[in-house]
Amino acid sequence: MININRIIAMIKKELITIWKDPKSRGFIIAFPLVQLLMFAFAVTMEVKNIDVTIIDRDNTQLSRELISRVTNSPQFRYVFYVDNEKDLKNNIDVQKSLLGLYIDNDFSQNIKRGKPTSVQVIVDGRQTNSASIANGYITQIINDFSNEISPQKGAKINPIVRNWYNPNLEYRWYVLSILVAMLSVVVTLILTALSIARERELGNFDQLIVSSLSSMEILIGKTIPPMMISMTLTIIMTIIVTTCFGMPFVGSVLLFLVAIFISLLSIVGVGLFISAICNTQQQAILSVMTFMMPAMLLSGFISPIDNMPKVLQYITYLDPIRFFMVLTRGIFLKGMGIVDVLLNVIPLIIIAIITLTIAARTFKRKLG
Amino acid sequence: MQTVTINNLTKKFNSTVAIDNLSLSIRKGKITGLIGADGAGKTTLLRTMIGLLLPNEGEISVLGFNPVTQKDELNEHIGYMPQKFGLYEDLTVLENLKLYADLKGVEHDFDKMLEFTTLAPFQDRLSGALSGGMKQKLGLACTLLGTPEFLLLDEPSVGVDPISRKDLIKMVKEMITPETTVLWSTAYLDEALNFDEIIVLDKGKSIFMGKPTDLADNTKDFENKVIELMGGFNMETSPIAQDYSEIQTDIEYTVVADNLEKRYGDFYAVKNNSFKIKKGEIFGLLGPNGAGKSTSFKMMCGLAKPTSGTARIMGIDILKEPEKARTNLGYMAQKFSLYGSMTVRQNLEFFASVYGVKNTKEKIKKAISTFNLEEYENQPAEDLPLGFKQRLSMACALIHNPPILFLDEPTSGVDIIVRKEFWVHITSLAQKGVTVMVTTHFMDEAEYCDRISLFYKGQTIAVGTPKELKEKANADNMEDAFITLIKESEK
Amino acid sequence: MKILFALVKKEFLQIMRDPSSIIIAFILPLISVFIYMYGLNLDSPRITMGIKNDNPTPETSTLVKSFGHSKYINSISTDNMKEIEKDIMRSKIRGAVVIPNDFSTKLERGKSADLLIIADGSETNTANYVQNYAMQISNLWLKTSKYKNAMAKQVIEQNSRFWYNPDLDSHHFILPGSIAITMTLIGILLTSLVIAREWERGTMEALLSTSVKPIHIVLSKYIPYFILGMLSLLFNVFLCVVCFNIPFRGNYFVLILVSGLFLFASLGIGLMISTKLKNQFLASLMSIGLGFLPALMMSGFLFPIRSMPLFFRIFTLILPPRHYVTFIESEFMAGSILPIVYVNAIYLSVLGFILFMAVLKNTSLRLEK
Repeated sequence: MININRIIAMIKKELITIWKDPKSRGFIIAFPLVQLLMFAFAVTMEVKNIDVTIIDRDNTQLSRELISRVTNSPQFRYVFYVDNEKDLKNNIDVQKSLLGLYIDNDFSQNIKRGKPTSVQVIVDGRQTNSASIANGYITQIINDFSNEISPQKGAKINPIVRNWYNPNLEYRWYVLSILVAMLSVVVTLILTALSIARERELGNFDQLIVSSLSSMEILIGKTIPPMMISMTLTIIMTIIVTTCFGMPFVGSVLLFLVAIFISLLSIVGVGLFISAICNTQQQAILSVMTFMMPAMLLSGFISPIDNMPKVLQYITYLDPIRFFMVLTRGIFLKGMGIVDVLLNVIPLIIIAIITLTIAARTFKRKLG
Repeated sequence: MQTVTINNLTKKFNSTVAIDNLSLSIRKGKITGLIGADGAGKTTLLRTMIGLLLPNEGEISVLGFNPVTQKDELNEHIGYMPQKFGLYEDLTVLENLKLYADLKGVEHDFDKMLEFTTLAPFQDRLSGALSGGMKQKLGLACTLLGTPEFLLLDEPSVGVDPISRKDLIKMVKEMITPETTVLWSTAYLDEALNFDEIIVLDKGKSIFMGKPTDLADNTKDFENKVIELMGGFNMETSPIAQDYSEIQTDIEYTVVADNLEKRYGDFYAVKNNSFKIKKGEIFGLLGPNGAGKSTSFKMMCGLAKPTSGTARIMGIDILKEPEKARTNLGYMAQKFSLYGSMTVRQNLEFFASVYGVKNTKEKIKKAISTFNLEEYENQPAEDLPLGFKQRLSMACALIHNPPILFLDEPTSGVDIIVRKEFWVHITSLAQKGVTVMVTTHFMDEAEYCDRISLFYKGQTIAVGTPKELKEKANADNMEDAFITLIKESEK
Repeated sequence: MKILFALVKKEFLQIMRDPSSIIIAFILPLISVFIYMYGLNLDSPRITMGIKNDNPTPETSTLVKSFGHSKYINSISTDNMKEIEKDIMRSKIRGAVVIPNDFSTKLERGKSADLLIIADGSETNTANYVQNYAMQISNLWLKTSKYKNAMAKQVIEQNSRFWYNPDLDSHHFILPGSIAITMTLIGILLTSLVIAREWERGTMEALLSTSVKPIHIVLSKYIPYFILGMLSLLFNVFLCVVCFNIPFRGNYFVLILVSGLFLFASLGIGLMISTKLKNQFLASLMSIGLGFLPALMMSGFLFPIRSMPLFFRIFTLILPPRHYVTFIESEFMAGSILPIVYVNAIYLSVLGFILFMAVLKNTSLRLEK
């Protein structure tokens, strides 16, 4: 038994309660946008501004040439010359330098004599990903230099790299596609998770139920307003991301709208599910955290899902954020087609149906 | 000796004047009652006296201290019980007592207190799980700790049954010393009649100060005098009922409870509760706090699921077709449960649409005018004075012209005039064929009911007209009948 | 003193009664640490790649085999470019290697042979792995293949050493770093609602009419959550060190001291939110926006601060988790390095103190300002 007028009344009521307070209105808009701008500029996995401490015991033209190759490379920033190992260790200990380069005094002599020579690189391993990337950079520089001064040429493998969908490997594109999904998830979850819990705390919920609204009507009335808000928000963020940050949008707009609609619907489902089982807003917000933290970590944005143990891989099928992120990334950058979108949308539909059904049943059962 | 002297006190909130050039004094060692309509400034006055609010103008001296500058010193000598008393509902009875004892720096010697409040058997229960009357007793007990010199009680008896109310007064009288001053704000005029002195506030001004016996010597006259002082009450016909469409139905018993039972483990909250309410009847559910009234009420409108039995509204089973049954229902909850952040009009619009009311605009316009809500039309509901909140709740419950009205303590905490007004509405609606089920703690209101079911410990102990019950108990007023019948069932 | 003790006890009882605080302090870290340990790998994750050999010779087939044997790669052989396209689109594979048909010939002649590496650039982080793994495997293959004699001699050899974490195991820094996230949640999320709640339920009005002073109220909120946070810290350290064998080279006393300072500052943020925002929705949004997300994204825990633009590098300096992450990673892996300890400790205590004073100032003893 569904009556459209009642649902419209519910929606109006929800929007008034969320939207009326200028503070909460401001927050809902400003919060994701500020975070979007901040993280878009700040977050990257690339390693830049590497500072290096050098001991050059050789101090010949050849060693200085090698050092200048390092310092002229765009990833490197400051160079500190020291003359003893203690200072080098200290610079790395206090994180003044990420790398140390040690050139021994027989460096150029060995080269001239045609003997292999070696340089020592020391990397601060406390941040392993930065460490291995920085080490990769310096290896590249040293190899290039080595090949250049080598008298003979020989067989080698020359990589020809093609990065599809993102030829220059702009890390920001990746981050932006994730941020759009992540921030929508955060706002949608808080909006929905608190909604029923708040009414329960204030006693409104009993009144609603006695008002002969059916569970279905309450459910729809509780689903549409946050959907409207978060859809709008996601679209605004998408516009900002594509216009201000020059992020490509290769896919179909229509598919994108369908994809974010279903994704957000599944998040609303999770939020309402949390809200239906919690008695207070405090419990609701803590439950949101308990869901969001593992869901974000398992979504694959930090570390690929293929790398996880099988059990965790199966768990990620329950994680709406996982599919949401695949969809935003896929449509933004890869121009995902309808079949591929469907493949990711179906699990989300299942998640939405399950969570929404449980939510609707739970707020009835809670009455007894 | 004066405990409190106030000279030309004015307190404003933005532009609204809550206390208007008020001067008064309260004598030491006396119990003074503070009476007034909702929004008359009672709570503001109490809060200003203890320094929780700062006056805009005027001087206050309490126990020789100035609450504006000497709040800390003053607080050591007073006991204050706010309207919404600050019990920690997730702490047990004993833990609450210990907390407040430590805050006041007194010994943990609660035996007398626990015995007095009859809370001893429940000392390890979470205070959130106590009944309303028990909570108030515990709140009062916490306030009385450390034998304060000046006791300020803000409507301690709201929502409390007659027996517990008597206990509260007894507690205060026996726990204080002859030097203790008590200021007791209340909406129960029978209570006020027993105080040494009374102050009647109206719109921030004092309109009467003196001995209650100077006004009248019995409750009825006293009530009338107070009503007169507050501007009089002369509503005879209810404008709501006038426009209410006559309820047409062939069903004789519009509300039926059929062996309702609610069990938690071995504990029966409600035990085989059966009754039938005729069309157009006002049926009162009376009983002490925690007797199971609210649970029965909730089961009747399908908010709680009975362990067994069912209820029928207009012949429709509430368990089988809850939504259909509820369309016949107007419901007013004990606690204000409309949307606080929406305006009066928006609340009405919401409930009108939810109930599928036709010609909404007209209906809402009428509701606003009959309940005198014009002034507040565009204000958020949470900012309304209590009496107006209750009016709005009733307006929302009636917006769809329901044949049945469930009212759970609709007059709790509202002043005498609003209460009278409410009962004019209720009785007139009943004449239009509306069936009313109501709970109340005001025994004078029970007299308005056609029939009463007296509820105690989950069971009905007596059903009948007020007259029948009084005869049965051999009492001349409902309050005595109530107490006698309950005591009898104890045996 | 007695008043403070009573209030602290009350707060503790409330924490114990509400399981959600316990969940945030102990269960959530347990789940997270488990995921960080087994689910995340930031240095050598195993990825799936396609491989297409257009030059089938006995030698190149050993190259294909080396891809198959690598523990970092799950390789799928194919001879259809369309399939590679489809699989990359579906993220079934993260990239592919194509061996061109002149590959063996060129190597045989001692020339440079092209190897086509395709990566799914939409997932930038895995794209880098695709390239690195492909090159590592093929270079290693070349050195052992029959073409090794045709290779030029390497003039300069590079010898890299990774200090503090020689095997570059990312768990050694992620697990300690995750403690910062947990402590942020306890410090900010749990407390952001506690003062607002007292007002809402009317308990504040009753408290204010007793001899309670602002300092009592403020301390009674700090102390219990501080203790809860520190217990959670010990639990987390126990999980890391004992259960997951993460090396700890620092000093436990220093660890506890600086963690305490971090918690002190975080509690200040949480209680500040609570005194300022009475609306639970806004308070929740704020505590996630000021607490959780910056701690996850901008503390240096997952994304290097070094690479941020100057403005944001400076901006991160005001974030307590940034200081704490720097400290705790270093404390675990490199031991107590004094300059790192005291720079971060001083900042955290100054911030914590300022916030404490601000919270105290904002705790009014009246119902109005």
